[in-house]
Formats: sequence, structure tokens, C-alpha cells
Amino acid sequence: MNLNILQGKAKDGGELLILKGELDAYTAPKLKETLLELVDIEGASVTLDLSDTNYMDSTGIGVIIAAYKKVCKNNGTLIVQGLTPRVERLFDITGLSDIITIEDINKEETR
Amino acid sequence: MMMKNAPSRVEIHNEWDIVRARQSGRDYAKELGFGNVDQARIATAISELARNIYLYAKPGVITIEVIDDQGKKGLAITAKDDGPGINDLRQAMEDGYTTSGGLGAGLPGVKRLMDEFDILSEAGKGTKITARKYLR
Amino acid sequence: MIDQEQMYERYKRLLAEYMEGKNEETLYNGQLFSRHMIECGVSPEDVLSVHIEIMREFFPNMDERLESSFDFLLEAMIGYGLAYREHQNLRFKQRQLETEIDIAANVQQSLLVSAVPEIDSLDIGVISKPAKKMSGDYYHFVRDEQNFLSIAIADVIGKGIPAAMCMSMIKYAMDSEPEQRTKPSAVLENLNRVVEQNVDPSMFITMFYGLYNEKEHRLYYASAGHEPGFFYSSQKDRFEELTAKGRVLGLDRSTKYREYEKLIMPGDMIVLLSDGVTECRTKKGFIERGEVVDLIRKRMDRSAQEIVDSVYKELERLQEFQLRDDFTLIILKRRV
Repeated sequence: MNLNILQGKAKDGGELLILKGELDAYTAPKLKETLLELVDIEGASVTLDLSDTNYMDSTGIGVIIAAYKKVCKNNGTLIVQGLTPRVERLFDITGLSDIITIEDINKEETR
Repeated sequence: MMMKNAPSRVEIHNEWDIVRARQSGRDYAKELGFGNVDQARIATAISELARNIYLYAKPGVITIEVIDDQGKKGLAITAKDDGPGINDLRQAMEDGYTTSGGLGAGLPGVKRLMDEFDILSEAGKGTKITARKYLR
Repeated sequence: MIDQEQMYERYKRLLAEYMEGKNEETLYNGQLFSRHMIECGVSPEDVLSVHIEIMREFFPNMDERLESSFDFLLEAMIGYGLAYREHQNLRFKQRQLETEIDIAANVQQSLLVSAVPEIDSLDIGVISKPAKKMSGDYYHFVRDEQNFLSIAIADVIGKGIPAAMCMSMIKYAMDSEPEQRTKPSAVLENLNRVVEQNVDPSMFITMFYGLYNEKEHRLYYASAGHEPGFFYSSQKDRFEELTAKGRVLGLDRSTKYREYEKLIMPGDMIVLLSDGVTECRTKKGFIERGEVVDLIRKRMDRSAQEIVDSVYKELERLQEFQLRDDFTLIILKRRV
């Protein structure tokens, strides 16, 4: 399956990555490359929009964890938004929802 | 046609030079008595070597010469450049590893086409490849 | 090696025969011959060269343009010949690698296999199958003299060799735990520090760790982000999620784990699994956790080992015999 990564600006002025498709062992390296570069700056601010990510497995979680660790080191922020119920459950189980900022987004607003 | 005992030397600057090197190699091979397939193999090997120079290390020189190793007659091709050199020779000689084109290309291909193959390379200084093929 | 002259003669005979009669039998023989040549490592350009030579012999006055067309074809085939030989060599290398992986997988198996203890009060069933040759799933059972049974199930992110290597590390970290019984939360906190220090930042491990007191029939447990298992209550005749919250191992050095406790009554069941069980992808989409429960429920009257074996078989079939992820399923049943 495929993953499309669209890059833009978030409302807070930081970087925005919109992930469309499936985030799994095959597509995770693509996100890893883009995302880790974005967060590798002092004070980086990155938002991941997952509203159109219809599947994510543990490899995807791994990439987000790696990005989170980098952000912590660089005093930056990592925000995740638009979690589908399946992905939200994955964030809950793995404990990521405790430490990563998750924002709701109003679907209407983005359209 | 005059007998080609003197080596032929072709400098590689552009794609035309690749063709000239091939042509020269084929002429030598034909005159030495290599069959059609071996002529084509030698030309292909020269192509690969010259193309490597053209893509990564131009300018360089392809030298083609007749050799006689205790009665074993053949052709030696030398490709020499002062380009960036090859960092990991083991990797460059590995099948399936090539930056240009798919299966069958690159240095392992040259090695297969010829009977003997030798490579010397130093990062930042250049590369010298010698390949030989003998008449059977 | 095939004799050059023999090949020439045989090819010539077949070719002449075909040009005379155009019959299917000759073509069939030609096909068999080509298979033989492939086995002998003859390159495509060699075959073509033989063909050209024979044609010159048959038609000494061949149109010159036709003749040069053969030379052109020969040139084009050199590249194919190279690709063919490289392919053969890569196949050989692949076989070598596979042998190496097989050996590594055997080593891993001997590390992984944890004997299932025989316990009067518990019926235990386990199945663990790697998606590829090596597994990133891990489980163990350890029973001490005071009749405490510790149960661990872990899943290393990803699969294949990297996951398997990481799993071996966990195995050693577990083995170096102190002999005496440790609280599940303390075990996870300790492992978390090991993983956090030693593992690539995008690598993590989930683990469920439980300690079963055989006298009191209580299960003490904690989870590090592991796919929740199920608890079956025979009294209520109901499956519920075996909830336990906790961060995955390797995320944050200072993570504390909460410990949970459950009383296990006769006929109750504890189901532990890796996400390879719940991430089963069938033609209709992902299998729902509820479906896994249904599969277990249908087989509940059988022994724990029979249940896990049969559930695995069913899920394997639903996925058309292709596991996407390592699969581990453990069932503990308190005997009635």
C-alpha cells in the first residue's frame, strides 16, 4: 500500500505533515526520513495530521517515538492531530497519548 | 589494415569517445582472431569501463593493447582515471550493486565478460582497471 | 560444462530438422535441449552465436544485410547474457543467505522455547509462529519453589532479523533478573531502563508481565504498552479486556508501571496475545478483537493447547496462509 506525505504550514506557524494512506513497515522509512529531518532543529515545531491515515502499525508508532525523542532533545514540540479510532487506540495502548500532545481537529475547518 | 602492435589510447571526455574506444577494441579483437561473440563481449566491456569514466571520473583514458603471455595471445584493456576513486571496492564488485542501470551492468559485468580482471583505486586519487581476454 | 562442439552439432541437427519439416516434435526437442543448455550454464549469446554460425554454413550467400542483422542481435544479447549470469549468481547468494538465516533461526528457537510448566491448577496452551523465519515475539514461563508462576509475553516492533536480535537482548535481560520473585511493575521498570539504553530510538518493545500465585489464584500483572489480552469469567460467562496501562519499553527512562491484580476462579481463562493475532488482515479487512474472542469461545471446552492451535489454524486460513506479523497466543485456564 501507499503513503503520501504532504508538507505545509500549521496554524501555529510550524511545519505540518499530512499523511494520506497507510503507515506500515513498508511506508514508515519514507516518513522517518522526512520527519526526522524536520525535528532535527533546535526548537522545531511539527504537527502530524493523521486524519487520512487509515492504517498504522507498530512501525509507524516507532517513527513517531523516534521523532518524539528528538523533539525532547531539541526543546521542540510534536503535535499529532486527527486520530482515527483505530490509531487512537494504538496511542492509548502504547502510552504515547500520555506524553505526546494530541489535538482534535474539526474536519469542517480543514476543508 | 596495418597490424596493430602499438597500443591504442582513447581519451574519454564524452559519449562519442565511448564509441571510439569500442570501435578500436573491436578492430583489435577482430584482427587478433576473436570470434563474433568475444568481439561483442570485448566491446561491451570497453563500453562499461568507458561509461564509468564518462559518468563518474572524466576525463580518463582507455588503452587497448595486444598481449602475448608465453604464447597466450590476447587483448588487454586498461581504464585509468584521476577521478574520485572507489571507496568500497568489495561493494563495487558485488553483484546487484550498481548505481547505473539494472542487472548485468557495472564492474562485475566487466569481470564476467573478460578472463582476467584487476582493479586498483584510491579515494580522491583515481582508479585503474585492467581486464584481459585470451584467444582460445 | 557442455562440450562446445557437441552443442553445435546437436543444435545444427535440430535446426535443420525443423527447417525441413516444421514439426512440433522438433520444437519440443529444442525446448528440452535449451533446458539442458541452461543447466550447463550456457549463456543466451552463446546460443545465438551458434545459431549465426550454422546459418552462415547453411546459407553461404546470405544477404549481407541479413547477416549484419545477426551481429546486431548478438550485441544486444550480450547484455541479457550478463544479466542472466548475474541473476544466477544472486540466486546462489540468496540460497547461502537463506541457509545462514535458517541456522540463526534455529539458534533463536533454542533461546526462545520456554518449557510450559505442568501445574495442577492451570491448563496452559502456547503457540508462537514467526511471520518470516525469525521472530520478534517472545514469551516465557518461570515457576519458583513457592509456587509462583511468572508469565511474560513481549513483542519487538517490526519483524525479521532486527526484531529477533533485539528479542535476544530482552531474553538475556530477563535471565539476569534476580532469582527471587520480583513484582511485575519492578520487572518492567528494570527492563525499560535496559531497552532505553541499548536500543535504536525508533525501536521499542511491548511486554505483558504477570505473576500467578498458585495458592491464592491471584494474577498480579503490569503491561508496557502491550496489546491487551482477555479475561474470561466463567461465573459471568463473559470475555472482557484484560486492561493494563503502561508505556512501551524504551520510550522514557523514568517510566513507572502500575500493577493490577485479578482473582482467578475455576473455569476462568486468561488470554495473552501479540498484535500479530489482532492485526490479522483478511480479504474483508482487519479481524476484529471480537472475532478472536468468538474463535476462542467456540473452542472453549477443549484443552488450552488445542484452543491456541486451532485458533491459529483458523486465522492462518483466513489470511490465506500469509502471516503479516509474528503470532503468539497464550491461554491459561484454571482447572475446575
